[in-house]
Amino acid sequence: MFNLAFNNLKEILDMDGHGIYVWSVYSIGIAMIFLSFLIAKKRIKDIQKKIKIKNASS
Amino acid sequence: MITAFIHKFSSPKSFVNLSEKLYPFFLILGVSMLILGWAWGLLFAPQDAVQGNSYRIIFLHVPSVIFAQLIYFFMAVCALMHLVWRVKLAAYLIKSAAPIGAMITFIGLLSGSIWGIPTWGTWWQWDARITSTLILFIMYLGILTLHGSFSNLEKADRLMSILVVIGLVNIPIIKKSVDWWSTLHQPASISVSGGSSIDPSMLYPLLFSVIGLGFTLISLGILSSRSYIFTREKNKKWVLEHV
Repeated sequence: MFNLAFNNLKEILDMDGHGIYVWSVYSIGIAMIFLSFLIAKKRIKDIQKKIKIKNASS
Repeated sequence: MITAFIHKFSSPKSFVNLSEKLYPFFLILGVSMLILGWAWGLLFAPQDAVQGNSYRIIFLHVPSVIFAQLIYFFMAVCALMHLVWRVKLAAYLIKSAAPIGAMITFIGLLSGSIWGIPTWGTWWQWDARITSTLILFIMYLGILTLHGSFSNLEKADRLMSILVVIGLVNIPIIKKSVDWWSTLHQPASISVSGGSSIDPSMLYPLLFSVIGLGFTLISLGILSSRSYIFTREKNKKWVLEHV
């Protein structure tokens, strides 16, 4: 169950010609999830900044 | 008694305080399990006898479509809570979960389309499973558009909740589409009651991927809901003190 299914890095990337499909799916998926985290973090920072400015001025 | 219980544990303040404590736990657990599941599935699981290595897309595709439906179901439960008990946190959670649901449904559709190229020889078919999942994606976008089109946010919350409940009818259609109609998409390989037709060497990494993506999306949901709660409650004393 824990034997590597490929012999070298080239085979891992190529996956018998299916590598383009497999790796593009994971690249897009990971990028979208990572980007969602960045956007959510930025929104929290922005709203916290706004509230702090409002707090300081009142 | 139920109403008192719901109102006690559904204040935005309690949610923010609790979620801040749980966030790092869910994130670390989710990402670790996802890395383990994907590394196992992509590098160690054996090649599929029929589909070759293209089947390895399953470790992202299946978790994505599972959560595309589960997030909608969660939103429907929140919508009922908002409509029946007027729980405003429930509406905030719907608004925060909808973009995540749209994103994960898009990943599910895209991964399925790319998987279809080497497997079916086509990236798209207007069959029941794929079309009903596309409708789910459009529902998510529709919910966000509807909410964004009102300046009265309380009214927007109510109408959004009603739309979410109406759209719930699509979930059993997605689930049963492969049984009710003759489709290109294969029937379910795993069921809660009936076991699995997948070999354990492929099933275990898939389970890790599903659980890992689940916890990762919960942590994303916590972040997203916190920013939305702060935006909606920015004039409340507790938010001013919290920030």
